[in-house]
Amino acid sequence: MPYGYNGKILHVDLTQGTWRIEEPDEKWYRTYMGGSNFISYYLLKELPAGIDPLSAENILVFACSVVTGAPLSGFNRYTVGAKSPLTGGFAETEAGGYWGPEFKFAGFDALIVHGCAAKPVYLWIKDGAVEIRDAAGLWGLDNWQTLERLEAELEDTRIRVVSIGPAGERLVRYACLQNDLEHYNGRTGMGAVMGSKNLKAVAVRGTQKLQMADPEKVKEIARWHNERIKTHPPNVGLTKFGTTGLVKGINDGGFLPTRNFKEGVFEGADKLAAPAYHETIFHSNSTCWACSVRCKRRVELEHEKYPLDKRFGGAEYESLAALGSMLAIDNLPAVAYGNQICNLQGLDVVSTGAVIAFAVECFENGLLTEKETGGRALRYGDADAMIWMIEQIASRSGLGDVLAEGVKRASEKIGRGSEKFAFHIKGQELAFHDGRGKTGMAMGFALSPTGADHIETPHDVAFQGEGVSKLYPMGLYDPVDPLKTDEAKMRFFFIGQKAWGINNVLNLCNFTSVPIHAMTFGRLVEAVGAVTGWDVSLHELVQATERSNVMARIFNNREGFTPKDDTLISRWFEEMPGGPLKGKRIDPDTFRDLVALYYDMSGWDKEGRPTRGKLVELGLYWLL
Amino acid sequence: MEVTVALYETLKTHCPEGGRVRLKAGARVADLLARLGIAEDDVGVLVVNRKDARFDQLLGDGDIVTVIPPMGGG
Repeated sequence: MPYGYNGKILHVDLTQGTWRIEEPDEKWYRTYMGGSNFISYYLLKELPAGIDPLSAENILVFACSVVTGAPLSGFNRYTVGAKSPLTGGFAETEAGGYWGPEFKFAGFDALIVHGCAAKPVYLWIKDGAVEIRDAAGLWGLDNWQTLERLEAELEDTRIRVVSIGPAGERLVRYACLQNDLEHYNGRTGMGAVMGSKNLKAVAVRGTQKLQMADPEKVKEIARWHNERIKTHPPNVGLTKFGTTGLVKGINDGGFLPTRNFKEGVFEGADKLAAPAYHETIFHSNSTCWACSVRCKRRVELEHEKYPLDKRFGGAEYESLAALGSMLAIDNLPAVAYGNQICNLQGLDVVSTGAVIAFAVECFENGLLTEKETGGRALRYGDADAMIWMIEQIASRSGLGDVLAEGVKRASEKIGRGSEKFAFHIKGQELAFHDGRGKTGMAMGFALSPTGADHIETPHDVAFQGEGVSKLYPMGLYDPVDPLKTDEAKMRFFFIGQKAWGINNVLNLCNFTSVPIHAMTFGRLVEAVGAVTGWDVSLHELVQATERSNVMARIFNNREGFTPKDDTLISRWFEEMPGGPLKGKRIDPDTFRDLVALYYDMSGWDKEGRPTRGKLVELGLYWLL
Repeated sequence: MEVTVALYETLKTHCPEGGRVRLKAGARVADLLARLGIAEDDVGVLVVNRKDARFDQLLGDGDIVTVIPPMGGG
């Protein structure tokens, strides 16, 4: 009998209206473990090369891991993946909340959605039973209305629902998924894939218990972990301020993306950040399943123009930068209200902010005019224009229809040299960390298989001086200089990527896990062993992580990506114009050389293709 | 007793000359941060003698205290 996992992968074919269960053996589970590995495994197995991501040929994978649902802080995430409509490559996006554990308790480890329904449907999964149900009455509803309607229809308020909003239905290429109105699978456009399948929601209810090999040991680790969370400084900060506490440090450091990545300091940052956030709109903390960090924010405000409802998810660091500093807007209620619209309509707030910043810079430079915008000026600092633009994008109206395609496609359509303001990597807009201030993170943006991704590696600023001791168990002993672009920095990235990759494979939250937060490598290995009953090692977890990176790379190579896609945005090759990092830039030749070094370290050839030796080392014989 | 502090990024401005701070016996990390004028909210990574530390941790003579502000996350 398996421990930690159910041994069941659910396949649903929406074209045929059928479902079946696959039961892989223990060796398969131990090889791939979960999360990003399950995504890349099924993408490589099921998809022919070159398909249209928004066609019935794409699959949509919901993946938990062999430890999801264990009662430990942060062991509650799930990954959604497919071929991305934004990048045309490997996509994965994780969310916390309650859906992942509930899905496990319903008897499955992953859900693979095939085909396309003839009309809108939703899935109802309860304790091993699966129904494909009519969603005609849900189509067009926002995420909140969808949840309310499903709770009434299924006569159960304990269901957990992952759904798309109208943006996903309209195939906005950066539409997201949400669960419980405050947890988002934000990036890579998975909402559009779900919309293209006419799948509005997946409702789950599970009452089965997760069987663990050594429940007493798991309890002991949970007690230790939760005690440590109370006193471990980074977790203390997250409990108190959530990620809003990051705004000040990043702005003071001079790398808060401002005015479409042009600057690194926003003069209005203090009005968006903690403690102002907590003095004006903060309502209460919220959390994910079994997690004692409680980093989530609920916000509430009675306001004529910008009313905030505590049910709809409070703005976090990325949203404050997306709709705040990127657009030079320091009106916190307006920024939080813009975030709330994104949440209800199902838009990734990172890409949404970046796309609007692109449009504003085009307008400021005369590449877009009132003719294209429908008579409305798009200027930095204009909060109402930001909110109007979000609504235009979600409804694909006017210019919003062009911007709904993402900056890469929008700039191709607008032309007139607008490409120089369209900042993306592999087609995905960047999250809000200026690589000139943390070059290791820039390497993550360039080398993540999902395109620009700020959670590919822990941020290098945290490993200065003896801060590097957090990565001793991974074999990194030398302090990291966040501003250097050299071999040592690439070694940091190489190691850091594996350290955080463990969290993506096991679906753990970075804010509870290694290497910065309260979990330690040693206790994490113990926890995985206690849940699964396996005599597991850190080496084994790292190897599973490397498998996920290699498989995603093979998928991208197959879809036509080459080393020229492993690059940065032009602005980071230019000098920072002001602030503490004035004059800092990344040298493009040095960067290219280090990307080649990364291939070399990874056992990939000069074209970035994993070698036969690497595939055999990882036991991926089926990919030879 | 005397401890050595290593402060990074924006916390550098709080660093005393030579990086050394004299403290009474029995002082904790929180006392040191108060002396340096660093709010606990401004601490991202806290390490004493190459090991994770807590605000209420007792300090000893010769300890090396590293403080880095919060500057990254998901």
